[in-house]
Amino acid sequence: MDNFQELLHGFTIAITVPHLALMVVGVLLGILVGVLPGLGAPNGVSLLLPLTFGMQPVSAIILLSSMYWGALFGGSVTSILFNIPGEPSSVATTFDGYPMARDGRPTTALATAFGSAAFGALIGVILITFLASWVAQVALAFGPAEYFAVYFLAFASFVGMGGAAPIKTVVALAIGFAIAAIGIDTVSGSVRLTMGVDELVKGVNFVVAVMGLFGIGELLVAVEEEFHARAVSSKIDWREVFRAVGRLPRHSVALLRSAAIGCWMGITPGGPTAASFMSYGIARRFSRRGRYFGTGEVEGIISPETADHAAGTSALLPMLSLGIPGSATAAVMMGGLMIWGLNPGPMLFVDQKDFVWGLIASMYVGNIVAVVLVLLTVPVFAALMRIPFVIIAPLIVIICVVGAYSVSNSYLDVVMMLGFGIVGYLFKKLFYPLAPLVLAIVIGDKAEDAFRQSMLMSKGSLGIFFANKLVTCLIVAGIALVLLPLVLQLARLGRKPASPTSETTAQEKVII
Amino acid sequence: MISRRALELATAVLTGSFGVAVVVSSLDNGIGWSSAGVDSGTFPFLTGIIIVLGSLYNLVRGILPVATLANIPVAVTPTEMRRLAGLFVPAVIFVAAIPLLGMYLAAALYIFAVLAIPMHQSVLRSLATAAATALALYFVFERMFQVSLPHGALAAAFGF
Amino acid sequence: MGRTSTFLLSAAAVVVAGTMPALAAWQPQKPIEFVATAGPGGGTDNIARAVQNIITKYKLTDQPIVVVNKAGGSGAEGYVYGKASAGDPYKVIFGTSNAWQQPLVSKVAFNYTDLTPIAALAQDEFLLWVKQDSPYKTAGDYLKAAASGEFKMGGAQSKDTDEVLTRMIEKAGHIKLTYIPFKSGAETAVQLAGGHLDSHVNNPSESLGQWRGGTQRPLCVFSPKRLPQGAKVTATEGWSDVPTCVEQGLDIAQYEQPRTVWLPGKVTPDQAAFYVDLMKKVQATPEWKDYIEKSSQIDTFLTGAEFDKFIKEDLEHLKQVASEQGWLVK
Repeated sequence: MDNFQELLHGFTIAITVPHLALMVVGVLLGILVGVLPGLGAPNGVSLLLPLTFGMQPVSAIILLSSMYWGALFGGSVTSILFNIPGEPSSVATTFDGYPMARDGRPTTALATAFGSAAFGALIGVILITFLASWVAQVALAFGPAEYFAVYFLAFASFVGMGGAAPIKTVVALAIGFAIAAIGIDTVSGSVRLTMGVDELVKGVNFVVAVMGLFGIGELLVAVEEEFHARAVSSKIDWREVFRAVGRLPRHSVALLRSAAIGCWMGITPGGPTAASFMSYGIARRFSRRGRYFGTGEVEGIISPETADHAAGTSALLPMLSLGIPGSATAAVMMGGLMIWGLNPGPMLFVDQKDFVWGLIASMYVGNIVAVVLVLLTVPVFAALMRIPFVIIAPLIVIICVVGAYSVSNSYLDVVMMLGFGIVGYLFKKLFYPLAPLVLAIVIGDKAEDAFRQSMLMSKGSLGIFFANKLVTCLIVAGIALVLLPLVLQLARLGRKPASPTSETTAQEKVII
Repeated sequence: MISRRALELATAVLTGSFGVAVVVSSLDNGIGWSSAGVDSGTFPFLTGIIIVLGSLYNLVRGILPVATLANIPVAVTPTEMRRLAGLFVPAVIFVAAIPLLGMYLAAALYIFAVLAIPMHQSVLRSLATAAATALALYFVFERMFQVSLPHGALAAAFGF
Repeated sequence: MGRTSTFLLSAAAVVVAGTMPALAAWQPQKPIEFVATAGPGGGTDNIARAVQNIITKYKLTDQPIVVVNKAGGSGAEGYVYGKASAGDPYKVIFGTSNAWQQPLVSKVAFNYTDLTPIAALAQDEFLLWVKQDSPYKTAGDYLKAAASGEFKMGGAQSKDTDEVLTRMIEKAGHIKLTYIPFKSGAETAVQLAGGHLDSHVNNPSESLGQWRGGTQRPLCVFSPKRLPQGAKVTATEGWSDVPTCVEQGLDIAQYEQPRTVWLPGKVTPDQAAFYVDLMKKVQATPEWKDYIEKSSQIDTFLTGAEFDKFIKEDLEHLKQVASEQGWLVK
């Protein structure tokens, strides 16, 4: 095993005192930018970039990638504690993470999230270590038709189920697609749906929508329900951190399934966001406790977090081997590679062995450093839940305002964020599901681009989606996922007709 | 007091008018599907139509007294309304004040106002919390991460 | 102070400014914002950050510089922001030729005339790329095979530089190509490597890694003469070994994309002069040369009348292509 030899050599580069120190610094800074929504890993990494010009490339990439790990972990913190996802990929974590935290178990929720995230990252790195060249080949097989099929599969696994009224789900989904279409269209270059607001040419940023829909929307629901009356009395309990992590192996099926979904979506163009949504959707469908999802289920946290980190980690491989950045952060790092005089692409693995294997080894070590550090911070973050609601509420408003503003230094974004807050409140109140809306905002335009690129290639024929085995399999799997619940429901209806209305109201409570 | 029915109607009207706006503005982009590809207005047009139809369905369901809705006749009680306003109105004032006062001053005043006026905290503690918030924002964003938050028209007038 | 003396003073100031252009009369008094009309990691973002680093390193101004990305709407977000900041000399916009190209073909709410041109700093070249194992050795072979009308050409964005060049190739070679737009050049390069496309017209830096890795190779460069000698890219070839397209019978002598720098509209000539001077100083540093070489661009510096002339000429040419294709916005 050549790769194993190379990896051992890589460890001798990564495990040195200066490099370990860089990892700790990187991870801590990463946690900070990850926790503050709107800042995010791309900002942090581009700010650190100039500092790295004097460094060895391998030291520089260790610092930057450690920051990336820290930010990935930190992004889950606000999702769980305040229902504000700082990054698209941690939206699915709010679905069960936030209910669990509000239920008085923030420590358990955070520790579970971090533990499963670390597992996902580990599987992702192992994949990179041993299957790098194979993975690069797989990624090349994806053209526009296959891209579309992957997005379709992500939608199919998530939409078409759940307790919400079907028409409300359809409306929410369609609104998401329309919002995603605002701005300049890649395929035609024309301006769409700006409705006379010139600045909207930039489109509606996901963070702006989510801060309003989730952050402000939830705040309004909480204040109305007099949430502060049952303020959470979370004790600072170190033992619970270890107990929560210790309980993870019981969910090994969910862990492995989510890691597999994450790796698959990280290599193919789906990316971490689609991975976490898909993993959550599939877990809800196949888990024994699936119908309790949305109320604070452990597997509802494990599934998106594991998939998110597995995808986020394996997405670095296409960056190194093909030169396509899998995420905004990876794009900044790629800019860095060029400035350090390295060219991402197929030859990097041959020309720059020390760099590549030093980086891969640092992914193992960096993730261990990151998980240890974040687990240490759990009680501190959990203690935030003990701040009285009257104080935390205005602080959350400020975080959302600053976060929305700093996405692109735009006041319009702040106003839109407040508007989304009202929509989020109304939708929550009336049981319109938010998840399909958000999923459509994040990958709706990408799916549309891929579809229309395919149509350009096939001269308008849908036959392109059945042109080869790969794309046919993906499309058929997607259709099956849409039809499966319908078939099951019909079968159930056949056995015991007429469902009582009380059940629908009970179901409405767990809509996400 | 706001009834569940009124809220359903209002939301359906809101989503429906968004749908109409989407349909109208996508007509500008052109709709069509030919061997030259799919025109840029096509999908927005279709989603707009779906939004409009879905909203009409929700509107009708909202008007008809259906069993599930009758279960929860009242959506927002007057007390709840007051609490909602108590959170949302100051937030709107805060956002409206940003262009004039800048982020730091507006945030500090906002924190001070929502803590001290309803007497959740003493004036002194409210002041301290407000100052700490503004300072923390300044150091983290302006200094550490070089993200320039708005300084406001007032600060500009004084030459900052 | 009477009116006469004020007049005398300002006259004196004009004279001083005229005799010592290096010491521009205007100096920045607060932090400067560099607005990159591309996302982090994009070519325009890289140039903004490179300039920022050089200015900071050599302390070319006392004020700190912050880089802000406004990449939405293929860069339109940044230009619209520049238009809205009229009269503010603390916003410097970094872009490409899309400052005058975009308003021509889509209904964006700005035009390049809303901005104050500072300079064009560097030129990116374009090449015609095919998959490594494709049978065509020269652009001539490629044109012959493409006569079938089944060829797919990829590129970044729609009705932007890549598509304009594609339409020029169609006209010069008497062929018909299906143009497929993607988000970026890097994405297009991967699509070509995967065999989903037949060719693309990427800049050197966008496909450098792919060429080294043996997934695709350039047929010719759209430049009047071959690219300057540099280090070898593959074992046997470097940029200077790529023939020009004219040599190979594809008659497009020159096509390149400038990296442009702008101030918002309504700034004073003094303020503009300060930034022209600043960019000149940046260009004289060894770090700049290093950046140009690593990103495989051509070093140029156009400002004032020269820059205006360049824009006018490019615009004329674009208008012609766009009207032939029916892209012009009404």
